Amino acid sequence: MSIVSELTATLDQMVNDQFESLEFKHLFSVPLTPERGRFYMIQNALYTANRRDCWGYVQGSAPLEVKRVIWQHESDELVNDPRANMDHYTLTVKQGEVLGLKPDDFEKAEVPAMVRACFYAWHHIAIRSHWLKAYASSHMLERRNNGQIVKGGGMSFRMGKKFENELGINLRKMISLDLHAVADTEHSDNISEMFERYVKTPEDRELVLQGARDCMAIDRAYRGALAYYMERLN
Amino acid sequence: MRSFADGIDRMWQTLVQMANDQFGSPPFRRLLNTKFTRQRAQHYSIQMAYYVRNRRDCWGYVQGSAPLDVKRLIWEHEQDELIGKKDEGKDDHITLAVKEGAVLGLRAEAFDDTPVLEGGITCFYSWLHLAQRPWLEAIASSAILEIRNSAELIKGGSLSRHIAEKFERELGIPMKKQINNAEHVVMDVEHAHLLMRVARKYATTEAAQTAIIKGARESLIIDRVYRGHLADMLQALP
Repeated sequence: MSIVSELTATLDQMVNDQFESLEFKHLFSVPLTPERGRFYMIQNALYTANRRDCWGYVQGSAPLEVKRVIWQHESDELVNDPRANMDHYTLTVKQGEVLGLKPDDFEKAEVPAMVRACFYAWHHIAIRSHWLKAYASSHMLERRNNGQIVKGGGMSFRMGKKFENELGINLRKMISLDLHAVADTEHSDNISEMFERYVKTPEDRELVLQGARDCMAIDRAYRGALAYYMERLN
Repeated sequence: MRSFADGIDRMWQTLVQMANDQFGSPPFRRLLNTKFTRQRAQHYSIQMAYYVRNRRDCWGYVQGSAPLDVKRLIWEHEQDELIGKKDEGKDDHITLAVKEGAVLGLRAEAFDDTPVLEGGITCFYSWLHLAQRPWLEAIASSAILEIRNSAELIKGGSLSRHIAEKFERELGIPMKKQINNAEHVVMDVEHAHLLMRVARKYATTEAAQTAIIKGARESLIIDRVYRGHLADMLQALP
């Protein structure tokens, strides 16, 4: 087994394990209400904005060829995804309409304390780490959303299904979650290809694993935080 | 109490004046008064390709910390620099630098094999440091280098134009063959206005305008140091 095959198998196991963690199980166990659904949607938009920060920082530190791949990736996310004919942040805001949210609700949203801590932690990895570690960290959140890797579906798909089952909102109307269930499969495949070119030594592999492990820990803390705040809403 | 528009206009005039003043500084004068030979031009081109790479690093960090709408402006800006416009037959700026190198007799490998100037390494880390400062300072530190390269804003011509004219005059290479210099002479006129677009929306307080001036001023200090190192390098070559 090549170093990259072994690495990607480990990464695949890690993203599947996320869904068995206490924090993920907790989040999925909290019944959705319209108010909790609105909270989740707003937080999802803030999370999307944080992803744009982190990918920008990673673009700053990565080699030129990788910068180009990230730039292309950010085309869908930041500027326009032809599948939706809008960028992903706008898509998330538009998705909020199904639960009565207005753009202003997103603009004025507060980042809760535990969520803020997670966002800063992701920033820290993206700004301060070796580029392979930073890159792996941002990549893992899309790998965790890749339905071809995560058995039972990625995060967006499962959340979309939860909205459908518990609030009666058809997955097709959850336009952002629905699109991400597809887009992140493609994104995570494109980004993952770079490992083939740049992971050559055990030290390279360890950098990727460090980034992946740290990111998954923050992701668990983030999902746990969302569950905590949602439980306190009606 | 001064109006917001007055403050922005004054800030812009200060930035443009600062960028113009670069050309009167001893390091810039030394660089622009050093006669190019073929070998000097080759080394200059290689070091400028490293400079362009550092710009890509810095703009990435600035994009990371900027608000979402500003991220989009930077993303568009980086299309010209990093990707090019294939449908318009335009290469990215690193490819342009390598192609221009061929006119000077450089092989593509020379751009990878030649080490970065030591003074360049120092300046590049300094610019990276500025790129990770609070976002208004950071964006100003990157944008001012394009204002300094804007033929529209710099009296007597931008840095790219000065260098292109020297290549033409001293080495007999016509401007149209200097595809990288020629592209920057045009593109940086457009890119120079990015900061003003951002400032009109976000530099709404005196503190914000001061942050922009601070980022620009510190970047221009590094720019002078860098140009001084380039002049030293050229003068050490035959």
